[in-house]
Amino acid sequence: MKSNLFYKIFATYIIIILLSMVVIGFQTTRQIKVKLLEQIENDLTTYAGMIDLACTKGEIKNKIDQLAKVADARITVIDATGTVLIDSEATVAKMDNHLDRTEIQEARVKGKGTSKRYSQTLQVDTLYVALPIREGLEIKGYIRLARPLIEIRNSIRQFNWIIFQSILLLGALSFVIAFIFSARLVSPIQEMEQFTQKLRDGEISGTLLIDSSDEVGRLARNINFMVTELREKVQSVNEEKGKLEAAFASMTDAVLVLDNQGRIEALNKSFKSIFGVRRRDILGKTPLEAFRNVELQNALDRFKQTHAPLSEELSLDDESRFILDVNISSIQGLPEDEGKTMIVFHDVTRLKKLEKMRVDFVANVTHEIKTPLTAILGFIETLQEGALVEEDTARKFLQTIHKHAERLNRLVDDLLELSDIELGETRLFFESVSISGVLDSVLSMIEPKASNKALTIEKDIPEDLSPINADRDKLNQILLNILDNAVKFTPESESVSIAAFDDSEGYVVVEIRDTGIGIPKDEIPRLGERFYRVDKTRSRELGGTGLGLSIVKHLMITHNGKIEIKSQLGVGTTVSLYFPVYKGEDAG
Amino acid sequence: MEKRGHTSRSYERALQDIRENLLYLGGLTEKAIQNAMKSLLNRNSELAREVIEADAAINRLDAEIEGKCIDAIALRQPVARDLRFLTTAIKINAHLERIGDMAVNIAEKAIPLNEEPQLKPYIDLPRMSDTAQDMIRKSLDALVGENCELADEVIKEDEIVDNLNDQIFRELLTFMLEDPRTIHRAILIMQISKNLERISDHATSIAILVIYLVTGKNVRHQNRKEKSQKTC
Repeated sequence: MKSNLFYKIFATYIIIILLSMVVIGFQTTRQIKVKLLEQIENDLTTYAGMIDLACTKGEIKNKIDQLAKVADARITVIDATGTVLIDSEATVAKMDNHLDRTEIQEARVKGKGTSKRYSQTLQVDTLYVALPIREGLEIKGYIRLARPLIEIRNSIRQFNWIIFQSILLLGALSFVIAFIFSARLVSPIQEMEQFTQKLRDGEISGTLLIDSSDEVGRLARNINFMVTELREKVQSVNEEKGKLEAAFASMTDAVLVLDNQGRIEALNKSFKSIFGVRRRDILGKTPLEAFRNVELQNALDRFKQTHAPLSEELSLDDESRFILDVNISSIQGLPEDEGKTMIVFHDVTRLKKLEKMRVDFVANVTHEIKTPLTAILGFIETLQEGALVEEDTARKFLQTIHKHAERLNRLVDDLLELSDIELGETRLFFESVSISGVLDSVLSMIEPKASNKALTIEKDIPEDLSPINADRDKLNQILLNILDNAVKFTPESESVSIAAFDDSEGYVVVEIRDTGIGIPKDEIPRLGERFYRVDKTRSRELGGTGLGLSIVKHLMITHNGKIEIKSQLGVGTTVSLYFPVYKGEDAG
Repeated sequence: MEKRGHTSRSYERALQDIRENLLYLGGLTEKAIQNAMKSLLNRNSELAREVIEADAAINRLDAEIEGKCIDAIALRQPVARDLRFLTTAIKINAHLERIGDMAVNIAEKAIPLNEEPQLKPYIDLPRMSDTAQDMIRKSLDALVGENCELADEVIKEDEIVDNLNDQIFRELLTFMLEDPRTIHRAILIMQISKNLERISDHATSIAILVIYLVTGKNVRHQNRKEKSQKTC
């Protein structure tokens, strides 16, 4: 586990300890060296002084070896000129003049001279101490003692070795101690580091278990506190976010949010279903890139100029399947929402359709009323202008006026009836009705028209046909209407057939089949619309008001039945009426 | 398009502006064809007149886009991808404007057709126009998404439209031979069919330009065998 802090602290400890030990060792060694040197110097000085005091030149010469042994030094005596007189180790005659030696010079001037020289012969430093031999104030010669510093060298060596061993031992010991101490210092910090790393990665949980009472402990406690706060804040933000998302997603209106660069930032489910796109396909794109809808882009451009909320109607492509009410506005609120745009689409397709139907209806009614009225007025004016005097013409005119007036009357009746049925204001009296009875009465009404066109009417009604639950008068009207159409649109000398039977689902089915001109397939769904005519010219000629099938359709609904129309152009039409079977006393 | 930016933001915006305008022009063109066909199939001459009037906006936008592209080339000295984009934008622009003109032609022919009874139920024409509109839509989508595969599809659909055109021609020929009174209407319908075929050719050209933009490959003059291979 990489721990820079640990190594830093540990290394610092080690370095300090080792450095101190080395420095101390070094200093100690030096001091000892100096002290030992001092010691030897004193020794030699003492001996030299003693010898000078106690012995005469002759005595020195005689006992030179013994003296040298006792002093454990080389003894040299030189005269005032520098000539070596006596030496305990070398041959006097071979020795050169020693006056120039440092220690001698120093002794001459200061009364004692010391010098340390590396002796080639002995390969070791040698200490020379010289004292002047005086007689009175005159220097007669010098006595010099010399000792090779072997002793020092050996002592120092030994000492160094001891110090080295101590350093090693103490070093190892301090190594261990430093290690433990550093680890204990660094460990809580490492824990905090791991903990905060977890937080960074998004895992806001857990607590630090550091209990010391120093700054580290206090730091840990602060972190714990902050984590708790953070956790709570994140939770509440998530909750809010969740609420908003739920609201956004469940809106039935489609919503699009654009960021401040006009790119799509967010959209809701309704948007996806109305526009048929996938979120990942259009996120980040501008609306123009996503769906090249010119009207939407125009609206957005206008909005960009004014920044005033605007509302507009537009249709999607695809044959204007949807008509949408679009509202564009700026989003306000948080500063990061500055410049964002919100577009809300409200589906008004159905509204528009209904509106259109209403407009069409009013136009149709006006037209239907206007036409006979114009004719009536026309004829009246003509009569007023003089046609009155010609009785035959006048009578014919009056007949025409009458016909038109009747037609207007029928139209108004039908309209009222349809309106009543739709508003549910017609009182229907439901009872058990036998179809064949009503059918017979209807047929007798149709008879004249049918025989005029030499049409045959075939009837196929079983004796045991179940009675149906219906209002007798309305049933009459329904059958009359359908049969009337059948007769109207069937060419001469052909036939119309009526059949009835029980189906297996609780209905009595009445089928009226003709061999007429038929109805185009895609117009069949529209037959129930008011004033809807397949071919405008032919129906009006034949005297229809255009409301017959509407009335029938609504009556069938009121009877809890249904009507089915099948047809083929040029072949014929079959109208199937489903009436619920009469069941006991539940009327209506 | 690519999300990497240029160092100059105004350059970036200029390119984006051209892109948006091109797409807007695409939208106008799509609408023009839709309405032109609607005016024929629903026998709505009023709508046809609207299409003819709306062409002015298409022409204006075409000139605007071309101007912007040339400005960008002159001022920015674009290289590589940007240069391809700007040059193909100029070409696509021209194709879209021509498609707009075709739509006007169709609308102009619809008006006299609507004044006479319908020669026969229009079955093949709607199929042709659906395919042609689909091709335009796909080629523009391919441009937006830099999608080579879509562009490939467009190129393949061209054959369908060509075949339908031939079919309509043959059928109308039999009508005309049978009854000279149908000649006027038949000829108008044939012209409309031809216009639709031209439209699909333009859409194919746009798709080919998109492929060039995305891959750098020019697949303009391919033989049959090459056409059946994929370019992406």
